[in-house]
Amino acid sequence: MTDQMAIHTEGLTKHYGDFPALVGLDLDVPVGEIFGFLGPNGAGKTTMIRTILDEIRPTSGRASIMGLDTHESSVEIRKHIGYVPGDLAMYPNLTGKDTLTYFANLRGGVDWDYVDALAGRLDADLSKKVGDLSSGNRQKVGLIQAFMNKPDVLIMDEPSSGLDPLVQREFQTMMREFASDGQTVFLSSHTLSEVQRIADRVGIIRHGHLIAVEGVADLRSKAIRTVNLFFDEPVDGAVLEGLAGVREVNVEDHHVTLSFDGQMETLLKVVTERYNLLDITTHEANLEEIFLTYYDEVGA
Amino acid sequence: MLATVATKTFLDRWKGVTIGALAVALMFFLGMAVYRDIDLAIYTDLPEALKALMNIPVDADVGALAYGVIYSSYGALTLASLALSMGSASIAGEERKGTMGLLLGNPKSRTHILISKAANIVLLSALGAVILWIAGVAVPGMLSVDVTGIEVGALVSHMFVIAVFYGFMAMAISAWTGKNSLASGATVGVMVISFFAVGLLPLIESLANGVRAFPWHYYSGSNPQINGIDWGDLTVLFVGIALLAFVAVVGVNRRDLRGQVTGVSVVDRLRANPMTRKIVERLVGSARVSRIWVKTASENQGILIFVAYVMFLMMGLLIGPMYTFIDETLISLTDAFPKELLAMFGGGDMSTPEGFYQLETFGLMTPIAFMVVTVTTGARALAGEEANRTMGLLLANPIRRSTVVLEKTLAMIVQALIVAIALFAGVVGGSMLGGLGMSPSRIAATTLLGTLLGLVFGALALALSAATGRTRVAIYGSIGSAFGLYVANGFLPFSESFAGLAKWSPFYYYLSSDPLLNGMNWGHGAVLLGLFIVLVAAAVALFDRRDLRQTG
Repeated sequence: MTDQMAIHTEGLTKHYGDFPALVGLDLDVPVGEIFGFLGPNGAGKTTMIRTILDEIRPTSGRASIMGLDTHESSVEIRKHIGYVPGDLAMYPNLTGKDTLTYFANLRGGVDWDYVDALAGRLDADLSKKVGDLSSGNRQKVGLIQAFMNKPDVLIMDEPSSGLDPLVQREFQTMMREFASDGQTVFLSSHTLSEVQRIADRVGIIRHGHLIAVEGVADLRSKAIRTVNLFFDEPVDGAVLEGLAGVREVNVEDHHVTLSFDGQMETLLKVVTERYNLLDITTHEANLEEIFLTYYDEVGA
Repeated sequence: MLATVATKTFLDRWKGVTIGALAVALMFFLGMAVYRDIDLAIYTDLPEALKALMNIPVDADVGALAYGVIYSSYGALTLASLALSMGSASIAGEERKGTMGLLLGNPKSRTHILISKAANIVLLSALGAVILWIAGVAVPGMLSVDVTGIEVGALVSHMFVIAVFYGFMAMAISAWTGKNSLASGATVGVMVISFFAVGLLPLIESLANGVRAFPWHYYSGSNPQINGIDWGDLTVLFVGIALLAFVAVVGVNRRDLRGQVTGVSVVDRLRANPMTRKIVERLVGSARVSRIWVKTASENQGILIFVAYVMFLMMGLLIGPMYTFIDETLISLTDAFPKELLAMFGGGDMSTPEGFYQLETFGLMTPIAFMVVTVTTGARALAGEEANRTMGLLLANPIRRSTVVLEKTLAMIVQALIVAIALFAGVVGGSMLGGLGMSPSRIAATTLLGTLLGLVFGALALALSAATGRTRVAIYGSIGSAFGLYVANGFLPFSESFAGLAKWSPFYYYLSSDPLLNGMNWGHGAVLLGLFIVLVAAAVALFDRRDLRQTG
């Protein structure tokens, strides 16, 4: 079954001394998927990525990429992957072009027309020394480096850090095109909005534990809405907390924010009976709110 | 804030200073123990002129020899090296790490930061000096050697002042240019040249007064271990320190701070020039990144060029003509000179050109030159890429870790060969210029053995780098071992009971067969080559089995 899986891990565990950075991670990412790997800083995202790339070795458990064991076949695997490390660093004395040539030579060649096309789309300057580039422009060189070999699996750790919004959007388009060609994208992030926009599924990791894996569409279908209520006087939040479908109530003086998946009519009835409702806005909850709602307690 | 910056720097550095000072103390102990065991008649019979040259007092005893020959030179060189590494890292180091901006985000001026860095150079040099002073007083007691009449305090005070002087010189260059390696390279250059000039110039009568141009003279010229503190000489150094401090303050305030530093290599200059761009682009622009070893070998160009230049010109070409200028009477005196004593400086009999070259060029400078290049590359090869966080990206390509280690090793060999060619050409040229008629094949043999010796310690740095991923461990570990093994090879033969142990030092297989006179010793060459191969194999195995470090 693992041969249809781009990435497969079984009980993957990594301890740094006594500190468990990654605990019993079981994960399957099928070929052709965009998988978003989410978690707060220090949750174990980078440790997981470095382990499957054989930069560090698991304390226990195993992992495979394209059906190949990540340690035994690490060299073979690396023919099939593109990688953007988190906190990307490159050789400051080389130009972008030199850097790409270097990595291309290590892989045995690259399609330079494709590289030029990528550089054009990301608006990257390859003639300057990497050390003289701003962090965003350096990140572009890192992204081109990962895409340029048209790998089967793209593994990227916080890839859009430093990119301006326009370039971020272009980068997301590139990832989608890439997946629609049947290739796989594994993307770690702590910015949920990005993952929400492009991922098929998301996994969330906390304190080294994978606490949930869900389809983005499934999460959305949980139909949680965020409701903002504005009143003409300060409000007692306790009144709302008992209501069916109400979660996560935040009261700030005249203003109430809540997550809600019940009957709107019931909610409105209760609040209008007690207070003068001045305004109401509602919108579909984003992943951040959904996760906070459903998973806050699980990994804490 | 000032105290905070100073404290952080102090905590970053005190271990290195302590270890350096203790290493010298240990060497002092070893040297004094050997001196105690041997018949000192070989020294007392020396001609006066030579005794003066070697820092040996007229009524030489164990104590005077150990202080004069070992402590005053190695102690001061070590302390000054530590100070200059602090000085060069002071401003440029913070810029290189990108932390200077952060530091200056606090409400303190550049001058404030410079002062706190300068205070550290003084403080840490004092720490090293105190350790050396304690050892200088305690070791003779432990060995029951009488040291009456030796001014340990005066010697250590002079050491402290010369260390601060070189520390401030490096700091001034660092503050002025923002370039760490330029600051340390230039200061080391000045220090080494000055050290040798002070030893060498008095040999040539017409140039004897020239020593006054070199800072080292004001440290050792007055023989403080015998004559006590020379306030006149120290005043010269104090004035120098004050001037350098002034230059540093002006320098750091006048220029733009550097962001992340990108060095400009010779190739870059040629590439930027429209006249040469096309051909250079074709020749080296893309060639430079064609293989891992080519890219690695093209790095550290500054150090490589500097070392090759020094070995070719100053240690090679100029030594030949200089030999012909040296006072004939001095040369004839060396018949009485014990070979064992000269062995500490790499050996060599000054009455022959080969001996002179061995004493000046091959004995000490050649191993240092090779090691500067091979240890730098060996240490940076793996640990440097990890510290710079590029190793993950490199190893995301379909190449084995062993390939990376072997390609880096190849780069080290290429760099060592460049130094070897410069050295060989320089010495052959020097021999021709001076009409000395030395055998090119024997010069080649000596150069080859020196290259292999340098590669052994480069491979040691590589193995430490592979095992730990820490550049500092690799550099200090290999340089420290080289230091100890050099001294062991120089001193152990003095004592009959220890003489056999010298064979455990790689240095034994470099010059003990007198290759300049006898030609290549293939057995010794094979030992060095075997050691090199074993260390590289260890590096491959060690690097393959461990987790890569994420940060430096």
